[in-house]
Formats: sequence, structure tokens, C-alpha cells
Amino acid sequence: MAIATVANLTYWYPGTAEPALRDVRTALQDGLTVVAGPSGGGKSTLLRLLNGLIPHFHGGRISGRAQVLGFKVIETPTRNLARHVGFVFQDPELQTVYSTVDREVAFGLENIGVPTRVMAGRVEEALHAAGIPHLRGRTMRTLSSGERQRVALASALAMRPRLIVLDEPTSQLDPGGAALVLAAATRLVDEGQAVIISEHRLDRLLKAATGLVLAAGGQVESADPATWRPPSAARPPPRTSVSGGEMWSLEGVAAGFNGQPVIEDVNLNGRSGEVVVLTGPNGGGKTTLLRLIAGVLAPLAGRVQRRPGRIAYLSQNPTALLHRPTLRAEVSLTLDRSGENERPEDILNELGLLQVADRYPRDLSTGERQRAALAAVLPGSPGLVLLDEPTRGMDVAARSALVRLVTRLRERRAAIVLATHDSDLTLALADRVAHVSGGKVAEETMETVRA
Amino acid sequence: MNARAVAAWSATCLFIVLFTTNPAYKALVLAAALTALAASAGFRRIRGWLTAVVLIATFATLLNFISAHLGATILFELPPQIPALGGPYTLEALAFGFVGGITIAAAILSAAPFSLLLASHEVVDALPAALSRTGTAVAASLNLVPAVATSFVQVTEAQRLRGWRPRGPRSWSEIVVPVVLTSIEGSIQLAESMEARGFGSGPRTAAIPSRMQRSDWLLVAASGLALALFATSRISGWAVDWLPYPTLVAPAIDPRPLAAGLLLFAPVLLWRSRR
Repeated sequence: MAIATVANLTYWYPGTAEPALRDVRTALQDGLTVVAGPSGGGKSTLLRLLNGLIPHFHGGRISGRAQVLGFKVIETPTRNLARHVGFVFQDPELQTVYSTVDREVAFGLENIGVPTRVMAGRVEEALHAAGIPHLRGRTMRTLSSGERQRVALASALAMRPRLIVLDEPTSQLDPGGAALVLAAATRLVDEGQAVIISEHRLDRLLKAATGLVLAAGGQVESADPATWRPPSAARPPPRTSVSGGEMWSLEGVAAGFNGQPVIEDVNLNGRSGEVVVLTGPNGGGKTTLLRLIAGVLAPLAGRVQRRPGRIAYLSQNPTALLHRPTLRAEVSLTLDRSGENERPEDILNELGLLQVADRYPRDLSTGERQRAALAAVLPGSPGLVLLDEPTRGMDVAARSALVRLVTRLRERRAAIVLATHDSDLTLALADRVAHVSGGKVAEETMETVRA
Repeated sequence: MNARAVAAWSATCLFIVLFTTNPAYKALVLAAALTALAASAGFRRIRGWLTAVVLIATFATLLNFISAHLGATILFELPPQIPALGGPYTLEALAFGFVGGITIAAAILSAAPFSLLLASHEVVDALPAALSRTGTAVAASLNLVPAVATSFVQVTEAQRLRGWRPRGPRSWSEIVVPVVLTSIEGSIQLAESMEARGFGSGPRTAAIPSRMQRSDWLLVAASGLALALFATSRISGWAVDWLPYPTLVAPAIDPRPLAAGLLLFAPVLLWRSRR
């Protein structure tokens, strides 16, 4: 049974000349539908059409027809569609209204006027459906990102929607958290819920999917999930150089906030032409380590040393630094500051961004913005490169481009430190791996990592 | 702490600050707001607010001192040929500017509990049903304040490592522009998430109805009494206005409007710590 049909639909975001969706004609069936495609291809726009955020919240121009669960999307406000279509966004931090789990899950019920006396039961039911009854009573700030994302799922489920839409729900999560969210989503399908999910981690989902929609360049087409295969990552270029002298070191370091240590007794170093990968769960201390190495966080104890030279630092919220009118200007700014004689087009081409070089960086899709931030901090030849979760929201092609870029920087003798959950990236790039968890850092052998 | 009670207190503070020119009563409201925030949020949390308020108040003071060449007590003079700046600099203009600074500081700190002490959902919960659609905007706006602080740290660190250094007012645009844009984007995403969960679709219910506690009623009573007493003082002429021109004089103080201002210190006793 078709739960959503889209006919001849074209949509432009406000102030844009190019449509984000072009003449889309598709029918989405019951069961689990996966939406795949490259960054900036129109996946998020298509999903937002299903609950009316496009066009009602975002504005813009729209033509054609879209019908979801019998409702005409263009004529039905999101707040009314919300009773029938639940939506889970990418970033678990930015969709939280209340400070406790129970209130957060009940938020939607309050909005649609569910009587107070039945709310507790509906909240309990939703927490079970999302697989998190144990989180009842917890405060939101004590939860990991994976737990928060499942609370977001429970919040959507509490309204008993016929359809649940998830927009890259695992892009901010560590592998453990991502597996739990995807398991919760597939279990919902087994229980008869219609689920539409956009994801880059497709292997597991495709096995359970009953439908597949590919979005690229604003165009949408259906495919068979049983036979379609996602593009595979390109093999990293072979290593041609060896590591050089020590570029940075931490000796007996403790660091944290307000005098409370987050990591303690850390001894770690890195050499030029070497990639050190920091792995471990969310909240384990990886970002704290990177900020220490960068010199933006002072240690509470111990000694941090680094050789002088340019530092390129991609923070956890990298798009925050984008502020120039075009992406090309953003890259030029870094090159001008570092006094390096490289053309901005070089790195833009390397990251597949040349075609959007003259666009305003904040108008790009999430995945494109991530690459734009990389292009803004990594041009030229930095001596020390620190990247915090650089593959967030990236598709396979973008990840391959990142691997090539980091490999090139390593060949130019940069010391590179990567904090990542991405095991493919770790295997492709790591010379050494340090596991950061519970405030402790332990080096792992590459054999252990490969195993 | 109920948002409606906080609103009653804030509104009374603003009423007194904005409906008198007498610096004694304005200063009393400023002291009440400052003490209430320090007692409940702690100096550590309000440090940023205080810095901003001092900067704004200083700017207001200096602006009047520089631009209003009125008053009898001349401190110094600049040649009248200097455009805009030339002329006498008077004690009266300085005093008037200082009172303007107190007004701005008191107004900002009176509204600060909504951001510092209450979560955005507590404010949304307290809105009357007729304003439920406004709640999206309220929540998004309140979310903006902490988001600005977080973004400021992130952006400053990232831009410093990218070679940014503070070199005059123009250089700060590289910090301010991305901080503001990032904070607004965060608030828009929160609003989008609220919309997607049916916010504003009709009359709301509450999982835990927002009830007024005894301390909230006491605060409403103290605020109401302060409002009534000050309004009466204004009408009856007990709360006399003050003007420093042409010659600076001390403001007249009456115990009745003073008592109204003292009632605004009630949160020091009633608000639990939210550090």
C-alpha cells in the first residue's frame, strides 16, 4: 500500500534559483523504505516534504502534488501532519525541548492535547517501543548522543504516528549508539510501523528494507534494495613516505573543566608524516585530547609540547566557522593568512566542491558543509592537522576524498590526529590507534584494530 | 520557581525602572535584580551577563557625557571647532548618562531570570493558551542566549587556529557573524523540531501541570504590592522625578516608593538555588 505519493513535484528553497527537488514522481510503500544518495542530493528535502516542513516551515516555491497518508501536504500544516507522521532529525542535541526524558517524550502529546491522565501510559509505551524503558526519569544532559537519539525516536512514537521518518539519525553517533538506533527502527517495521529512513550506513538497513529511493541532484528514482549496491569506498593511495621527528607530545597530562578532570595521566605523542587515530565512545575524552594538542585547552597537570608551525583544526561543530560570502573566499582566507601559494580551487576540486565554490557555504547541505569546513581549514601545508569526527554526514564519495586529502597531507609531512567512530576511515588511514574511554587513553596495535 | 511568578517580578522591576527618572529607585531595582540573580544562579554563572551589562551601561554613560554639552558644572572643555566633540563637558551630563546606564542595566538584569534561571520549556509551559503559537518563537529566542555563549567559544578557538587575531573592531566580524549565524541556525532547528511534534496545533495539555507553589504566590504578592505601592507613589507625587539639569542636585527620596523597591528583594529569600 502506498503511504506517500509525489507527483511532478519541484521545490525551490527561498532565494535559490536551482530547485532542491526536480519533477519528483515517486510512490513510497508501507514497510521500511531507505532513502540513499550523495550529500546535497535532496534526501533531507524529500523527507521534510513528508511531514510538511517543506514547504510550510521552510517556505520557498513549490509546484506539483504530494500526498502522505491521504493528506495533501501542500494544504496541510506540519503541526497537523505531526499527528500522523513522526520525524527524527540528525542532531540529537538540537531537538530537545525538556530537561527530563519523560517530559521530552510527552512533549508531542501535550501539543496535541492528549489528556494528562493517559499521558504516562503513552510515554511508557513509547519508551518500550524505542527500547529505552530504563531511561525513564533520567535527565537529558546525562544521556549519551545515542540515548538522546532514541529518546527523540520515542518522542515521535508517543504520538502513535502511522509513519516514522528518520533523517540520518546516526550521523552524530558512535557505532554502539548507531546500532541501537537502527535496531530500534527495524524493530518498529517488524511490529507493523511504516518507516522511512535516510542513512549513509546502508549495509544492515538494505537487508531489512522493502523499498529504496535514490536521491541525487534533486531527482528521485526507485530501486530494488535486494539488488542495488551502494558505491564502495575507493582504496586509499599507497603510502610512500615514513614518519619523521616528534611533532607533539603529552606527558602525564590531566585535563578537564572547572577543575574536574575528564582525562588523566595521558602519555601520547605524534610524529610528522604520521596519522594517529583516537577512537572510543562519545563523551570519552577524544575532543578534550584534540583541544589539548591544539593548545586551546590548558592541562590541569602534566606537560603538552608541540613544534611550532601552522595548526589546522576541524572542531566538532566545524560549520560554525563558515562566514565568508562564498566557499572560495572561505578557503582563500586561510591561504592568505598562512601565506601559502596555493589556489583555493585545488582543495575544492579534491573534495568535490568546485561546482559549489561560489555558493554561500551555509546554504549547502549538511554533508557539503562538512566538506566545506574541511576545505576551509586544510588548504596548503599545515604542520599539525587535528580533525574531530571529520566524516559526520559524509557519503562514500566524500569519505574517499577525505582519505585522499589526509594521505596527501601525510606525504607533505604533516602530523595528523583524527578523532573518529568511523572504522573504515581508521583502517584506511591509521598508523597508530589510541582508544580513549572513561578518561583513560590506551594505544592499540593495528592487529587489534583490524580484528 | 514558576515562570508566571518570575514574569510578575520582572514586569514590576521594569515598571519601576521605566516609569521614574529618580536614580535612587532605579538603583534599588538594579540592586534587587543583581542580588536575586547572584543568590540563585551564583556569581560564576552571571559573570558574563555582568560584563555585558557593565559595557553597555558604560557606553550609555559616555555617550551622553560626550554628546550632551548641557549643565552648569563644567569639568573641562574642548575647542568648539571640533565637530560633535567640541564644547563643555559637564558633571550634569555625566550624571544623566550614568542614570541612563543604570536604567539599561536594571532592565536587562530584571529580564535575565528567563534565560539564566528558567529552561525554555518552563517559559513555554507558563504561556497562556492564547499565546501557544508564540511559544515556538519564545523557546527559540531563549535557546539563543546559551547557544551564543557555546558558539562563541567554538568559533573563537577555530578562528584563532585559522590565524585570526583581534585587530580592531572590524576583525571581530569574523567571530560575531558566525557566532550569531550558528546560534540562529540552532534556534531554527529547535523550532523546526517543535513544529514537527505538533507544537501550536491546538490547546495544549501538560504532563505535569505548571502549578504555583507557596513561594511563587508569595513572590506574586510581593511584586503586586510593590507595583501598587509604586504606582500610587507616582500618582500621589511621593515618588518625585529627578533631572540633573541645569545644576546637579541629589534625588528626593520618600520611604513609600523606597519600600516598593525593597519588596523586589523578595526573590533572595524565595528562589531556590539554580547554580
